Amino acid sequence: MVTVLSRYLDSVRENLRLDCSLESEVIHELETHIEDELQELREAGLSEEEAANTCLKLLGSAKVVARQICEAHSQGSWSQALLAAMPHILFGLLFALNWWRGIGWLLGMLVLVLSMAVYGWWRGKPAWLFPWLGYSLLPVVAAGLLLLYLPQGWSWVAILIYIPLALWLLYSITVKTIKRDWLYTSLMLLPLPAIAGWFLAVEPINKLPQHWLQRMQEFAPWIGLTFLALGLTVATFIRVRKRWLRVSVLVVSGLITLTMVAYYTNGKLSLPAFLILIVVMLLLLLSPAFLERTLKHTGQQSAT
Amino acid sequence: MAQRRELIKGSIDSLLLCLIDQQPIYGYRIIKELERRSQGYFKFKEGTLYPALHRLEKAGLIRGEWQTLPSGRQRRYYHITEKGLRSLVTERNQWRDFLAAMNLIIQPASD
Repeated sequence: MVTVLSRYLDSVRENLRLDCSLESEVIHELETHIEDELQELREAGLSEEEAANTCLKLLGSAKVVARQICEAHSQGSWSQALLAAMPHILFGLLFALNWWRGIGWLLGMLVLVLSMAVYGWWRGKPAWLFPWLGYSLLPVVAAGLLLLYLPQGWSWVAILIYIPLALWLLYSITVKTIKRDWLYTSLMLLPLPAIAGWFLAVEPINKLPQHWLQRMQEFAPWIGLTFLALGLTVATFIRVRKRWLRVSVLVVSGLITLTMVAYYTNGKLSLPAFLILIVVMLLLLLSPAFLERTLKHTGQQSAT
Repeated sequence: MAQRRELIKGSIDSLLLCLIDQQPIYGYRIIKELERRSQGYFKFKEGTLYPALHRLEKAGLIRGEWQTLPSGRQRRYYHITEKGLRSLVTERNQWRDFLAAMNLIIQPASD
């Protein structure tokens, strides 16, 4: 195919943000359309270049075409919304029903989350995967926090080895999800600010485990409620079609869940900590957009 | 011109359902058929057609199916579904009522 038209299809592909199988189907359909169009224009007496330029004009903006096709497919079904909200709902129930202290429940949850994340990744990264993927990364963060409790002298060795490895893993998964759509990366990171908020409110560092277990017990119903609110957010995210609405849903949900943390902990989360968490939340949810732009820019530079 | 574009935009789903109901058809052919049958009035850009086709397919009104031609080339033919047929009946009735009402107002009085 003529270079300008190949470039056009590349541009559509870049902006489609659909799962792999659907993306290749859309591109293939446009490709067959372009072939028919080119053939007819050549038969009408146009040169190769003239035919390509006329075809390009008829196709319209690649970004607009991609965005509109993407919008047609972006609204998930109710079952997809429920599947995407499920990890938040299950975590919510884990706390609301006080199952979080049972090692069996925790292990069962871990196995389920990891299985769903692997299955979704293998099935071409559908939209429902990303909340599961976010929770599957939690054990990596939790293990890092547990390093703080190692005997003195050992903790820094573990930290020196563990933290770079964990950061590398988190970064590479984040980059891969950004390549699918940066909004899904934000969806993946959505529970982190609320988890960080509850972590700070429980104050586990330099305190006896009994102390923070007691605090956890005290806050458990409210922690559960926060996760259920996140579940509702995810279901709404999957059901809305417009991108700007999806961004708004994520940001508003981040603000609401952090306010819930501050409200239910009765001042145990200080105002500066609350404000810092809001900034961190905004950075977490919106920085994937900038990272996507940087990755695209780097990709284009290396291609040229 | 903008008014005409808005009119076409509002009727694109009905036009596509009508055409696909008559025979399974692929994207490129749809553009040509609409232009030919409307004597050049409906000139769809691909950028308008494919998002509309994907929207109708997602809504379950049409179904796309790849077919390989004897030449080896592939084309995605669209077929109307049961749901699409029901929607088309409703839309046809709405259009008929709308056009009848418009004619009553727009046509100059004979007396």
